[in-house]
Amino acid sequence: MASTVPWRLPRILLLAGRIILGLILVYAAYAKLKYPWITFAATVSAYQLLPDNAVIFVARTVPWLELVLGVWLLTGLALRWSAAAGTALLGVFFAILVHSYAKGMQIECGCFGPGGDPLTWKRLVLEVALLALGIAVTIGAFARRRAAA
Amino acid sequence: MNWLTQRKFLAVCLGTVLVSVGVGAQKTMQTNSAGSPTTRRTATANNAVTDTAPIKWLGSKSAPITMEFFSDFECPACRAMFLETLPHLIENYVNTGKLYFVDRYFPLQGHKYSRLATRYADAAARIGKFEPAARALFNRQETWASTANGNGDVDGVVASVLTPAEMAKVRELVRNEPGKLDADIDKDVQLGSGIEYRVMQTPTTLITYKGQTTPIIGYVSYPILKQYLDELLKR
Repeated sequence: MASTVPWRLPRILLLAGRIILGLILVYAAYAKLKYPWITFAATVSAYQLLPDNAVIFVARTVPWLELVLGVWLLTGLALRWSAAAGTALLGVFFAILVHSYAKGMQIECGCFGPGGDPLTWKRLVLEVALLALGIAVTIGAFARRRAAA
Repeated sequence: MNWLTQRKFLAVCLGTVLVSVGVGAQKTMQTNSAGSPTTRRTATANNAVTDTAPIKWLGSKSAPITMEFFSDFECPACRAMFLETLPHLIENYVNTGKLYFVDRYFPLQGHKYSRLATRYADAAARIGKFEPAARALFNRQETWASTANGNGDVDGVVASVLTPAEMAKVRELVRNEPGKLDADIDKDVQLGSGIEYRVMQTPTTLITYKGQTTPIIGYVSYPILKQYLDELLKR
C-alpha cells in the first residue's frame, strides 16, 4: 500500500536526528541540574510570564523533564511519542522566546544554564533549527511506523 | 537474545546511565565542599568573603549564609531587586542573623552614567551615607539613567537626599579624588570577574552556604528567594 505521508526520512537521518535531539536535551538538563533550582528559577522569572509558585514549580520540574525526554529519545523506544513530546516542549520554549524577543526583553535565554547567550535573533534562529529538527524526527518516526504497518 | 530484546536491553542501560548523570549532577552540586577547587575563590570554611568596603555590608559575618549582590545602578532589574527584594531580605534574614549581605559594585561598560553613579554612591558610602544615596539612585533611575534615556544628573539625585554639608564632601571626593573611588569600584569588578562563575550581567547574586556557592542571574522575587534560603537553613 502506498504511503500517504508526503515524504520519508531515510533511516540513517532519523537515527542521527533523534540522537542529536536527545543529546541536546540531556545536555540542557545537565546544565540546569548542576545548579540548585533557584538558578533556573531566576531565569524563568526573568520572562515575567508566571507567578512565583509557578516559577518554582517549573524550575524544579522542567530540567528533569528535559532529561527524561532526552534519554527517551536516545533509547529510540516509542519514538513517535518521545519525538512528539520533545518537539512539543521545544515548541513551548520557542514560543516563549519569540514572545520575549518581540517585547524587547534584555534577558539571557537560560537554555543551557546560567551565564548563557543573551536573547538575540541568532538564538531564535538556533531554536528554529532545533524545532525543525524535532518536527522532522517526529514526522519521520510516524512515517516509519506507517510504512512498517 | 534476539535483536529487539538486545535493543531494549541497551536502551535500558543507556537510560540508566544518563539518568544517573542527572542525579550525579545534583549530588555533585549538593556535596561540593569548601575544599573543592570548584567552589569559592575567597571563602573560608564559614563563608567569609573579601570585604572591599565594610560600609557596604550588613549583618553578622558569622551568619550561616553569605549573599553577595553585584549590581549596576543603571540596571532596571537591579533596581527592582534593591527596592523590592532586599528590604524584606534584610528584615527577615540579615537582622535575624541568618544572612550576611555584601553589596558589590559592577557598573557595566555599556551604561553611559553607571560609573559616575557608582562613584557618587561610593563617595556617599565613605561618609556613611551609602544606603540613602543608593536608594535615591535606584528610586529615580528613570530620570538620570541612560537605560531610561535619562539626563545623567546623578549629582542632583544624590543631593536630594543628603544635607548640603554631606553633599559637599561627596562632590569633593567625586571631583578631586575619582581615582580613589575607582579603586574601590574596580576591586569589586575584579572580584566578580575572577571567580569560578564570572559575573556577566547584573544583577548577579552569589549565595554561599557551607562552602558551596550558587549563582543567581537576574531579578528574583523575595518569595522565591525566601523558599530557597529556608531550604538551605534546614539542611
